[in-house]
Amino acid sequence: MKALRLLTGCAALLLALGGTGTTGLAQHVHPAAPPSAAPARSQSLYALSATLSDQDGRSVGLDLFRGHPVLISMFYASCPDACPLLIARIQRIEADLSPRERANLRVVLVSLDPERDTPEALQALARARGLDESRWRLMRASDDTVREIAAALGIKYRRLPDGSFNHSSVLTLLDRSGVVQARVDGLGRPYADLLKRLRAAAAP
Amino acid sequence: MRAVVLSLAIVLAGGSAFAAAPGGMARVGPGSLRPLYAPDSGTTAIDVRAFELARVPVTNREFLAFVQSHPEWRRDRVAHVFADDGYLRHWVQPDELGAGVDPDQPVTQVSWFAAKAYCAAQGQRLPTEAEWELAAAAGDTSADGSTEAGIRERILAWYGRPAGARLDAVGHGTANYWGVYDLNTLVWEWVLDFNGTLVSGDSRSGASADRMQFCGAGALAAGDKQDYASFMRLAFRGSLEARYTTSSLGFRCARDVVGP
Amino acid sequence: MRSTWKVGGLLGVLTLGVLLASPHDAAAQARPPVKAAAAPAAPAGAAVEAVLTSAPDVPPPLTRRDPAKVVVHLEVREVDLEISDGVMYTFWTFGGQVPGKFIRVRQGDTVEFHLQNHPDNKMPHNIDLHAVTGPGGGATSSFTAPGHESQFTFRALNPGLYVYHCATAPVGMHIANGMYGLILVEPPQGLSKVDREFYVMQGDFYTVGSYREKGAQPFDMQKAIDEKATYVLFNGSEGALVGDKALKAKVGDRIRMFVGNGGPNLVSSFHVIGEIFDRVYTEGGSRYQENVQTTLIPAGGSAIVEFKAEVPGTYIIVDHSIFRTFNKGALGMLRVEGAEDKLVYSGKEVDADYLSEKAGPPSTAVASAVTALEKGTLDIKTQTAAGEMLFKGTCSVCHQTTGQGLPNVFPPLAKSDFLMANKQRSIEIVLKGLNGPVTVNGKTFNSVMPPMSQLRDDEVANILTYVRNAWGNKGEQVTAAEVTATRSKIKLPPGAAH
Repeated sequence: MKALRLLTGCAALLLALGGTGTTGLAQHVHPAAPPSAAPARSQSLYALSATLSDQDGRSVGLDLFRGHPVLISMFYASCPDACPLLIARIQRIEADLSPRERANLRVVLVSLDPERDTPEALQALARARGLDESRWRLMRASDDTVREIAAALGIKYRRLPDGSFNHSSVLTLLDRSGVVQARVDGLGRPYADLLKRLRAAAAP
Repeated sequence: MRAVVLSLAIVLAGGSAFAAAPGGMARVGPGSLRPLYAPDSGTTAIDVRAFELARVPVTNREFLAFVQSHPEWRRDRVAHVFADDGYLRHWVQPDELGAGVDPDQPVTQVSWFAAKAYCAAQGQRLPTEAEWELAAAAGDTSADGSTEAGIRERILAWYGRPAGARLDAVGHGTANYWGVYDLNTLVWEWVLDFNGTLVSGDSRSGASADRMQFCGAGALAAGDKQDYASFMRLAFRGSLEARYTTSSLGFRCARDVVGP
Repeated sequence: MRSTWKVGGLLGVLTLGVLLASPHDAAAQARPPVKAAAAPAAPAGAAVEAVLTSAPDVPPPLTRRDPAKVVVHLEVREVDLEISDGVMYTFWTFGGQVPGKFIRVRQGDTVEFHLQNHPDNKMPHNIDLHAVTGPGGGATSSFTAPGHESQFTFRALNPGLYVYHCATAPVGMHIANGMYGLILVEPPQGLSKVDREFYVMQGDFYTVGSYREKGAQPFDMQKAIDEKATYVLFNGSEGALVGDKALKAKVGDRIRMFVGNGGPNLVSSFHVIGEIFDRVYTEGGSRYQENVQTTLIPAGGSAIVEFKAEVPGTYIIVDHSIFRTFNKGALGMLRVEGAEDKLVYSGKEVDADYLSEKAGPPSTAVASAVTALEKGTLDIKTQTAAGEMLFKGTCSVCHQTTGQGLPNVFPPLAKSDFLMANKQRSIEIVLKGLNGPVTVNGKTFNSVMPPMSQLRDDEVANILTYVRNAWGNKGEQVTAAEVTATRSKIKLPPGAAH
């Protein structure tokens, strides 16, 4: 039952094994470094020190929510299908949390379309969807930064000639230090495992 | 200025063996590319502006110089998000090649983040997929290699050989129409938008995109079904994450056209 | 049944059920064994590492009666191997050889599948197992770059013998390079016991050079598209099942072969020369056909064949599209050792001259008798010798060369009281035949003996002289004159020519 223990194990064990995350039903396992791996190699996503701006036009770092568990993904405001579903899915996950867990959780959504997703557009979206802006930040960044964040999150995307995007939907959970704890690839996939780890990460 | 100093440092570090391999950039394009998977049903050709592409892939020697001057990219210091545990594993030390590694071989076991950082340090960038494919589509004597006999077979023959064989040094084959070497016969190469191809892990899913997995227009009609090498590159890129490294995967840099 | 991606959700729920149920191992073990039709039970006991084997070996039959969690580690290696004597080919393999490792699980097992892509490989790979119910048969969840590993979990819902193969673009090339193997999902009660099990998998191969052209041969995409195979092979190379690598069994062994066909293109007409398949589980399914000579195995399909080794010898395994066997390498061997059984197969019994009635010079004995008769010097010894020859060609068909006849069918002549009691009657019977019941040595026979209308009088005399003096019979000479006299007296039945 070793493999099952791994999936239900604690965050510390995951840290020692290199911060792998579950991706829905598939798990990309990297050759496990021994627990005594050099601590000099950062496990955190925040090693990618990117600068973005939020829906209020403020300049922020990717790690603005360090110290909180974070759900992070990518979207664009004029997306017709998947992105509304993505937001709805995160809201459903939030609804499954206790008030205290929810208060701890932060949500970061980075736009694939910085050209059209201006701060005004992002604000309008936040209001239209009734997002709790004290915890949800919608961000835009340079094309290069967007490419790096997508690469780090394992999100595939391509801008089409008409300005819309093909993109995959990956929802990633970061712990308080920015280490990846779970990934759900695809909107139809079950997220029970992500929820379990979110609770663990949100615990005081 | 920094780019100049770094380039100079790289040249000095090379010595005579480096001078033998063709260096510098070649001008590629402008041209038109038949995409393998059209992003939408309306697109039959992708126009690529002229750009400059390194003649040969980045070598072990060059990358070593980069790691020495940017120690955050040593394999014992690099962040996990930037590179997996295979990163530069073939070097004897984090900052030393060792006797078993030929300095003039293309550097492998490098991730997309590492390749990107290297190019940025030279004042350059990674080529886009369209740029790379345009350069690679050329044959020996024309911009469209599909018209030249034997080109496809030569490429497929490389893909059929296992990676275990020792890598050749860069630049020892023949340059293609654009004056670029080794595009199809040495190593796989990173491109800037490697994660722009939305194919599922099952290569047979083909034309119908799964909207729950991939948002967007979703019309994936394979362009030239005879172009197996492109299929394989597509499949290979699709299997990668940005932090991955493999023993057959290297890179070269590009830059926008300088001057008229 | 293959399913759409929506089943992914269902599979997720099942997997979830497994994860949630796992701590309750003790309770699961207390449950009675599951019947095939009932809902699948959660795995019982600790996780088991699957035993994988290389062809032609098969992992031992499973002894567990309950579903289990089974962990499979399968490594993809791209390797240069000999495809034929002096001909090298770059194979892409599951486990280092073609075909890939044999996987053996039980219906209801939860399989945690690890696909490892060796760091020295150049290509990404994945796996589609036909035993998997879920998107791509696992292909979507196992797409793996070199130097990495993917994991996915599935439940083996259906029993049967299933093909697995790589499904990375270009799929035909990956399969043509040898990326296929078999996974057996045993039914809950297991398979019937046999003495030997073998793993054989056919595939077609396409090289730039021609058949047996020496050296390193690359894959030829155009030939593969045109379905013009250069090699058709069992187990990935021309010598795989030949010579000292032949399959081995003993007389009396009940043999089962798990036979797969990886393709990529050709269907197999699978046959073992000199054997009949007592049972064929066609297409690797749950029902069997009996007494089959040659069975069709689809590309990407399988069959289970069972037969008993009755007689020693070397049995050739072929694709009965026979040019593939003799000109492309589709040839294997099964060597059976042990005691002979002449009743089943005697080997060559008679190597006799074949003389049709009108044929050339008669045999020496017969010729001598003819000459002696003309000269008037015919003695009993010459007659007997000639009679024996003539008896063999005609009478022995029913009465046997041993004169024993066939119990309940044809009466014996050896020590026959009926025969020896009356010489005249025996001449008459040869000339006009015999219908109706006769009692010979206390046994009753009721058969039909036709009139021997093709025999001349002297031939009849020779035969009867032989018969009445052979096998311990103590008789006398019968002369041609006696036969002639008898013939003129009796009424021959209609149609009896002479």
